[in-house]
Amino acid sequence: MLRTTIAQGPAPTVFLAGEMDLDCADTLREAVAEAARGAQMVVLDFAGVEFIDSSGTGIFVRLCLDMKSQSTPLLARNLSPAVRGVFEMLRVPELVGEDVFQG
Amino acid sequence: MVDAATDSPVSLQVYRYTLGDSEVRPVIGELEPGLPQSDLVAHAHEALTSGTFMCYAVSQADDFVADELCFVPQTDHCDILSIRTNGWQRHHGDHRRSLVEILNNLAAAVACGKLRVLDADQLVTETATGEQVLHFDISRSAELTTAREAVDDVLREAGIDDTTRKRTTLCISEAVTNMLLYGGGHGGMTLRRLHDRLRVVVADRGPGLNFLNWMEPPKAKGQASMGYGFKIILDYLDAVGLSTGPGGTTLLLDRITTN
Repeated sequence: MLRTTIAQGPAPTVFLAGEMDLDCADTLREAVAEAARGAQMVVLDFAGVEFIDSSGTGIFVRLCLDMKSQSTPLLARNLSPAVRGVFEMLRVPELVGEDVFQG
Repeated sequence: MVDAATDSPVSLQVYRYTLGDSEVRPVIGELEPGLPQSDLVAHAHEALTSGTFMCYAVSQADDFVADELCFVPQTDHCDILSIRTNGWQRHHGDHRRSLVEILNNLAAAVACGKLRVLDADQLVTETATGEQVLHFDISRSAELTTAREAVDDVLREAGIDDTTRKRTTLCISEAVTNMLLYGGGHGGMTLRRLHDRLRVVVADRGPGLNFLNWMEPPKAKGQASMGYGFKIILDYLDAVGLSTGPGGTTLLLDRITTN
């Protein structure tokens, strides 16, 4: 199960914790939508993500593309080696742009 | 030509030739009527006796479909892989490149021994081998989480390192997610212990793999397709077995436990 915590501010941050799989779509979308109100960008902090599969990856990719088209881009930070490995295998940086990833 | 609105406008066929036989037999799908047995046997025999991986483009007189056949020699038999496009590209843009990539990836996985296509007899034997350690009936993703964690515990007890364990549970997640999305929505996940490996058997009674699911980008609601999942499975596991057809799909996901 994915849990989210939002830290508001000039660059609101959604802290993600738990598992990003088939079930995370609604939780992630709702948290990002709330964080994005009035913001110019939203940061997703992956430090607490313990597991991600291709469903969770697909949800992240779709959300990145949607937010970019709404001119409120997502930035992703603190990816663990496991999450980064899945993203690289599935060529996520090519799909969403290298500039999405911080650090 | 099959209408593109049908459920499975793209399908995989796998045929098998055993040295000395006079014909090939279907292992996945039906034998294509337009493919002469004699040609299949001749090419399979050549591939097997020369130990050579061979690939042919196939066109039909009245309809240039340009599908491909890959002949993959094994120790005592030759597997023949074909993806039939059924004119799909005419209606929905040219997926040709993707189809060829899919076929080539599958054929390469068979050729290097990573992927085994199982016939009915092999399926019965392979799913009964070893000792059953865990079993879960799964129809909801929350049950997948429970199953994944239980397998992780067994892998840890078996001394599997952290990275390999994570990769293994990821593959299980991919296979079960495919079952929930495309395999009829429910099925079983069984963990078996063999002398040199742990084997996860993911089985459903769904309609069989639809290879269009392997090409589609993530859907609006966010689910990625098995195209990504199967790539992860083939890259991260030590060996994979596959049986699929109208009666369901079974995947064997093997993690070697001894060096």
